[in-house]
Amino acid sequence: MSFQIPIGPQHPALKEPISLRMTVEGEVITGVDIRLGYNHRGLEKLAEDRNWIQNIYLTERICGICSHSHATCYVQGVERLMELAPPRRGLYIRYLIAELERIHSHLLWLGVAGHEAGFDSFFMYTWRDREVVMDLLEMISGNRVHYAINTIGGVRRDLDAGQIAKIQEGIVTLRKRSEYYFYIGANEPSFVARIAGVGYLSKENAVALCAVGPVARASGVARDVRKDDPWAVYDEVDFEVATADSCDVLGRVVVRVKELLESYKICEQLLKSLPAGDIAVKAPRKAKPGEVVSRYEAPRGENIHYIKANGTDKPERLKVRAPTLANYPATVEMLRKGFIADIPLIFAAIDPCICCAERTVTLIAAGSGEESVVRMSDLRRRAIARHQNAPVKRNAVWPL
Amino acid sequence: MPDIEIVENLKRDLGEKALELSNPGVRRIFLGVAPRDLLPAVTLLRDKYDCAYLATISGLDKGDSFELLYHFASPAVNINLRTEIPKSAPSIASICAVIPGAVLYERELQDMFGILVEGLPDPRPLVLPDDWPAGNYPLRKDWKFERPQEVIPGGKS
Repeated sequence: MSFQIPIGPQHPALKEPISLRMTVEGEVITGVDIRLGYNHRGLEKLAEDRNWIQNIYLTERICGICSHSHATCYVQGVERLMELAPPRRGLYIRYLIAELERIHSHLLWLGVAGHEAGFDSFFMYTWRDREVVMDLLEMISGNRVHYAINTIGGVRRDLDAGQIAKIQEGIVTLRKRSEYYFYIGANEPSFVARIAGVGYLSKENAVALCAVGPVARASGVARDVRKDDPWAVYDEVDFEVATADSCDVLGRVVVRVKELLESYKICEQLLKSLPAGDIAVKAPRKAKPGEVVSRYEAPRGENIHYIKANGTDKPERLKVRAPTLANYPATVEMLRKGFIADIPLIFAAIDPCICCAERTVTLIAAGSGEESVVRMSDLRRRAIARHQNAPVKRNAVWPL
Repeated sequence: MPDIEIVENLKRDLGEKALELSNPGVRRIFLGVAPRDLLPAVTLLRDKYDCAYLATISGLDKGDSFELLYHFASPAVNINLRTEIPKSAPSIASICAVIPGAVLYERELQDMFGILVEGLPDPRPLVLPDDWPAGNYPLRKDWKFERPQEVIPGGKS
């Protein structure tokens, strides 16, 4: 017998409205349907009647976690349309904020992963350390969430020597802590046992379904816009693209912690070679007709904006694709053949208890609904047979 | 591979089919094809140019026609495949058979522009609500949002 479990659009375990419909047989998910649109704000239409400057603040409000990434993606595209060359110091500050934002976003995700796996002390540790980077961001920009530091032609706030010293100090602390998390994430036996083999996404599927960001990189696809399509400062700094080939939640944890360490490296290099000079140039009010494709590696994956100008002070078209949308087809694939109990890990969702309903000697054949009484020994034989070719948990790699 | 070499290869592989081929910026190539050549071009990009990754599909209302831009990316270059369909008969073949990850972007096109994507495995609306009035396509230029008059139940008339 297959059941449908609706999760969302409004659900206590979901932070944002989305509707997941799971078709389950026993405890195994056989089909997943995702319905979107509960949070659609018509932003692309809205952008067509805002001017170039107003749109920075509009794009910044697409996301509440990686607010800087959309604004940066938009601004770097508009600068190319207007043929502006922002000063080096402005660019360095802009991408320094970008890396600090990646650090705060990855620490947040690590905490959520720990929480969903039932490892709440990990959650509390990472979120405590996230405050370090949040304080740094507040010190630089004056805000904790919407930094509002970008403007067309540069950035709006400068760094002084005291701030640079504070950022360097904070990075030293964070690096030490992240190395500890790396050790915990890959070695703590109960945590590893919970996340290894869960949410399997093969490399072929990651490529075919156009997955992006840490999801793709944890499946062995080294896709990183900072390396493939370096914009502004990324070809001047030295960093590695973090990948893993375990294709599961463990791999995604490892990739994110490795990326944290790479981000510290980038921040230090940017601060060390911070050029002197202005932070912004004056931007014209209008842009010449033209089009540009702007790409940016947000913490969750590639962010792409297509901007078309028609010669006025407003864009003709602004197309925004956020990384999470690109990962939905892959999420469906990860959830399929998984356990219900893995839904929260794969997708921050609930842990409903329907398996209790199956504990009876009267079996109802899945699909046909026929009832038959079986003997206990027979049931045991079936149970063994079923677990032998269990469709779900892959052989976990035990790092100890 | 430098951009210029990729442009040359594309010119040789597509021949007459390439209506437009430009390289406006570093690692940016714009390629235009007719709608009937879309599927062969996508297959060529995927198999020969390592562009199995479709970043997104942008639609644009140009008045009498719709312009569709398929943004592909390989580790070396970002290829934007452009095609144009008339507004009077807005329909295009689905590329989901070649790029399975395109399904959400094609569903979004159907919602936002009213373009019929033929052969789409899952043609339900993606972002618009179930009770959205038919024939309203928000990203068409002639569509304007008008806030309905708010009526307070049992309030002043």
